[in-house]
Amino acid sequence: MIDLLRQLLGGIAPDWLVALIAYLIVTTLLLVVAAVMTMVLVWIERRGVARMQDRLGPNRVGPEGSLQLIADSVKLFIKEDIVPAAADKWVHLLAPMVALSSVAFAMAVVPWGRGVVPAEIDTAALFVAAVSAISGVGLMMAGWASHNKFALLGAMRAVAQLVSYEIPGVTALLGAVLLAGTMSLSQIAEQQAGLPIVGASIPGAWDLGLGWYVFTPVGLVGFVIFYICVLAEGERTPFDIPEADSEIVAGYMTEYSGMKFALFFLGQYILNFVLSMVAVILFLGGWQGPGVAQLAAVPGWGAFAAGALSVLYMVGKAVFLVFCMVWIRGTFPRLRVDQLMAFAWKYLLPMALVNLASAALWVAITRWSAEQWSGLLSLDGLAAWQRMLLAFVVTAAINAATYYWVLSVNQRRAEDESLEDLAAEPA
Amino acid sequence: MILFLVLAGFILASGIMVVTVKNIVHAALWLIASFFAVGALYMLMEAEFLGVVQVLVYVGAISILILFAIMLTRDTADRQLYRRWWAALVVAAALFGLLMVPTAASTQWATVPPPAPGAAAVIARAPQIGESFMREYLLPFEVASVLLLVALVGAIVVAFEERGTRRRVLTLAEEVRRKRLQKPAEAPTIVTSEIAGGE
Repeated sequence: MIDLLRQLLGGIAPDWLVALIAYLIVTTLLLVVAAVMTMVLVWIERRGVARMQDRLGPNRVGPEGSLQLIADSVKLFIKEDIVPAAADKWVHLLAPMVALSSVAFAMAVVPWGRGVVPAEIDTAALFVAAVSAISGVGLMMAGWASHNKFALLGAMRAVAQLVSYEIPGVTALLGAVLLAGTMSLSQIAEQQAGLPIVGASIPGAWDLGLGWYVFTPVGLVGFVIFYICVLAEGERTPFDIPEADSEIVAGYMTEYSGMKFALFFLGQYILNFVLSMVAVILFLGGWQGPGVAQLAAVPGWGAFAAGALSVLYMVGKAVFLVFCMVWIRGTFPRLRVDQLMAFAWKYLLPMALVNLASAALWVAITRWSAEQWSGLLSLDGLAAWQRMLLAFVVTAAINAATYYWVLSVNQRRAEDESLEDLAAEPA
Repeated sequence: MILFLVLAGFILASGIMVVTVKNIVHAALWLIASFFAVGALYMLMEAEFLGVVQVLVYVGAISILILFAIMLTRDTADRQLYRRWWAALVVAAALFGLLMVPTAASTQWATVPPPAPGAAAVIARAPQIGESFMREYLLPFEVASVLLLVALVGAIVVAFEERGTRRRVLTLAEEVRRKRLQKPAEAPTIVTSEIAGGE
């Protein structure tokens, strides 16, 4: 992009201006795409849930109700902006901006396809985790500035949930980083070429772009944990306690109306989509898929076609994950606060920690030479696929054992507690 | 350079705001702003990993903890700045100077020499930082980890002291049952537990 502009404007504008213009164009493009994606996602959500609940959903504006959100946003634009008299005006105004900007930061580093990445940085995976933590500050500001008990309760719930689900989420993310050996999201996607499980380790095999980490035991557990944490961070239904309308009106958004509410709303949908994209990149192969590598090898138009196909794969997978969110919303009831916390700390975190260890083991078994094992074990004699098989069996055994261990320990604890409760009650 | 001046000015200004604003929540928010700007400063120095970790740890975790602590205690609208603030300023400046001047004078600053023309600048990226943690600085790294673990265990011990009185949030049905068992004569009054146990 910068190079293209440099050629166009090389004579007339200084270099820093060209770079600035290029970044502005990319940013504008991203925000427009995000707004359009939000429209699509809201449509999928409303129509999807309506279908699951055996009703019609919005079907008047545009074909199949697809333009409903434009009507809704026009309504939000012209709505009166109400700030409660007791509210802290400036913090009340800044809160939705902080919440949305954290999502916008995250969007800057997520690749959309083969070679299509707004800003390539080495630590992209960590960057996403870091900036999505900022939104907690925004929610806290919203809850506090509204000067409303429900808003404060909602913000407390939201931030407590965000903070506790961040830990297993980031631990699961680290598993994928270990497998790929890099924190750059586009390189993580690049690594997941080749065939299922073995990846690109067999020379001469077809590159189907299916070496997704989700096919390995480490990746499968990591994906499930990460996706659950995505649901929690995006406040999707089993975890929508912060805005549980039957308990605390709309949580931290209670006192917001008009454009400020629209910003929260937009931020939430984009967050869902961006986190789904990150999950796709980490575990579902990102933009990899059958045909991308073959097209890229064609000289001339091949690279462009491969890029287009890869964007299609990427967006398709991410939209599918968002659809799964809608599906889950249509299926599960809301959790209680204590159940939510217990699930994060007693089930997800132990699983995620053990999964991180087995990711390290996977790397050690498949890649380390005898020297790196410092003489403990020599796997140099085995072929690549044999080492993969060994790693698969070992990590699958460890993860399965952990799953049953976590379940049985928690089951036993729950039984103990209910017995104690009965004993504590006066007869 | 312009960017550096803007950022440094912003950090200083928000630092001053932290200690001078009346409202303690505003002070915390200004503190977050200055943390964030420090992260941006790291980014500017191409210490990408450090910048990201700064945002992750300070903005994402510590400041949230501060906000939680403030909001769970009572709202204090007291003025933070007292009348003899200039005396405190003099004392603080003197102590800072006492500490900094000898240190700055006696330290051999290990500045990175500018790269030879044509050669790329050597920048420590995440892998190099990880390597040095695991090799040269293994002991400090491990000591810091153990310290954090101790803090973690201590927090759990403190939090579990009141376990005797309350184990978990009871469901409505359990609550009603318990009430009925305790006071068989009275009609059960239903008490819904709100967010207790959530944090």
